[in-house]
Amino acid sequence: MFDAIVVGSGMSGGWAAKELTEKGLKTLVIERGGHVEHGADYLDALPPWELENFGMVPEDEAAEHYAIQRQCYAFTTATKQFWVKDSEHPYTVADGKPFMWIRGYHLGGRSIMWARQSYRLSPLDFESNAKDGHGSDWPIRYEDMAPWYDHVETFAGISGSQEGLPQLPDGQFLPPMAMTDPEKDFRTKLEAAYPTRRLIIGRCAHLTESRPQHRALGRAPCQYRSVCERGCSYGAYFSSLSATLPAARKTGNLTVVTDAIVHSVVHDPKTGKASGVRVIDAKTNEGRTYEAKVVFLCASAIPTAQIMLNSKSEAFPNGIANRSDAVGRYLVDHISGMGASGTYPGFEDRYHRGRRPNGFYIPRYRNVTEPGEGYTRGYGFQGGVTRDNWRRGSWQTGVGAEFKAGLRAPGPWRISLSGFGEMLPRPENRVTLHPTRVDKWGIPLVHIDCGLGDSDRRMVEQVGVDAREMLELAGCTDISVRQHYGGAGLGIHEMGTAHMGKDPARSVLNQYNQAHDVPNLFVTDGACMASSGCQNPSLSYMAMSARGAHYAAEFLKEGRI
Amino acid sequence: MTLAGAGPALDRRALMRGAILLVGGTLAAGAIAPAFAATGTERFFTPAELAIVAEYAEIVIPRTDTPGAKDAGVPEALDGLMANWASAERQAEFRALVERIAAAGVIGSGPAQVDLARRFDAAQMPADPVYRRFKELVLTLYYLSEPGATQELRYELTPGRWEPSIPVGPDTRAWAA
Repeated sequence: MFDAIVVGSGMSGGWAAKELTEKGLKTLVIERGGHVEHGADYLDALPPWELENFGMVPEDEAAEHYAIQRQCYAFTTATKQFWVKDSEHPYTVADGKPFMWIRGYHLGGRSIMWARQSYRLSPLDFESNAKDGHGSDWPIRYEDMAPWYDHVETFAGISGSQEGLPQLPDGQFLPPMAMTDPEKDFRTKLEAAYPTRRLIIGRCAHLTESRPQHRALGRAPCQYRSVCERGCSYGAYFSSLSATLPAARKTGNLTVVTDAIVHSVVHDPKTGKASGVRVIDAKTNEGRTYEAKVVFLCASAIPTAQIMLNSKSEAFPNGIANRSDAVGRYLVDHISGMGASGTYPGFEDRYHRGRRPNGFYIPRYRNVTEPGEGYTRGYGFQGGVTRDNWRRGSWQTGVGAEFKAGLRAPGPWRISLSGFGEMLPRPENRVTLHPTRVDKWGIPLVHIDCGLGDSDRRMVEQVGVDAREMLELAGCTDISVRQHYGGAGLGIHEMGTAHMGKDPARSVLNQYNQAHDVPNLFVTDGACMASSGCQNPSLSYMAMSARGAHYAAEFLKEGRI
Repeated sequence: MTLAGAGPALDRRALMRGAILLVGGTLAAGAIAPAFAATGTERFFTPAELAIVAEYAEIVIPRTDTPGAKDAGVPEALDGLMANWASAERQAEFRALVERIAAAGVIGSGPAQVDLARRFDAAQMPADPVYRRFKELVLTLYYLSEPGATQELRYELTPGRWEPSIPVGPDTRAWAA
């Protein structure tokens, strides 16, 4: 019997484990995938010429086993072990509505391969559902989250600049990374042409300096290698393996079990509470049960919904804590794929050294300071301006010594902008259990039905238009615009499938991330999000997990759950 | 942290990592790239085809004051990719391309041959995606080889710092990555 069970060891589960163990709770973390040893299991020390096939995953293998995962930019022979084999982990989608579900099943989850951009949601984001009527009104506001953002930023180590923007609150930042000269030039031109748009350095979970709380865990400053998605032996970026799980282990209160797939949450009709979880051993297919006083679901948005829907009982015939029928619904992902790139003029006499694992960010301005036509939310841009290298030779004609000499010099400065937009939470975008098909462990497959609405589509059109205009005003040439949506799932920001709300009849969780229907069941991963904002969400999952763990521990102490 | 059920097997990656340390420490620089690009024992190109690949790669990236494609092991590395990475479809496309390169009569040395190769390249680049992919791979295997990355260009495994603005001189070489 444990005090707490945490399902999942990624971004959210790691935080829940750290906070619960530090409050003295004997905590079991259950991870469906295998063990990963921080450092020893990373291929981050290899130069390009020592990578298997120079990083390229064999074409037949990629097509047969990684048809979805290979669409992720970070899928290489140096990271392949961190992505699921799609062939082993099937799911189904609605006809004509592809959903590219990018995921990794191993200790640490996607906190190893994440892109590390870290932004707070703003007061505007927590008010958006109430204001425009989409989704459920959040039962919390920014003020409820602010101290928890402070808490997780301080521990995780987020570098960034203080900007005073209402739509992107400042935080407890390590020193910001520096911009290149053309990035500063672009900022000047952009802010002159659009006085309420801002360009700031990206806020990212990298140690630009290592403070005592980081050094205590053996975390060193960023070395500017930019091989982050392979795992970082320096522990320079935040992951469950570099930070939260080691901190949890230090308490002596942590137990981790890997290769254990949670089948369902056990509901005790006598107490009305969850008594534990049923688990299937990934290797032997044997079932077993773990018991605890409180259960945290941190399996990521889609699997958390899958577990809840599969937790059927007399009290909950449609899945545990699902009297609202909202479990699985309101699935959102950030709308991505749109943007533009081009050649940035000038600065031929300047270059950069080191590989900055970060870029700039243009925070949301639509429906903040500038109107949006036909949509109520907005989008931000990630981007960068750096000099081209030899890769430009791949689309140039030429051979021989002259060609070689041309590629020896740094190429022109190239700019790229990538938009990330907020998808409206809509009940029809949902995850269900497949009525007949099961995986090799006998668990019903996930069925995903998710697509854009009219409002989302109007936003998509504007992103490419804005990207082109901003590059044109800066005098860029060779501009190419990505006008179209990349596809659902490719934002890799799934959320919303067990959302927080004030009304137990319409939402799954209350203001403490506690299930309305089951008082000792908490959900703090992306599933809890009532809306997504347009910011990268991991920092919010961290803060939500720390906050949820705080209340769960309080309630346990008070004997309320 | 109590670990239950964790059983990491010593896998191919770990073995390779060990092998890399051994080889990297003992062999001359240029031999490393082909040794690892071709981890399988099988080969793809026939000796005659490989000779054409080698000569054409050297035409694209010749030896100058720095190593050329052959010095950097590009032909062997491409052969390794064909054996270990390429699909059957791509193998067939590349084999056919090598035949076309041979048939175009561009293989050979001297300024006239380079001129012929330049015209061949200029004709293929806009017209043939297979050629573009081939050229991209030749460049990749050269510039990401140790000689290409560290002698022709510059590469730092662990830069340690980010310097956003450093001066460029007439002899400044680009970063390979």
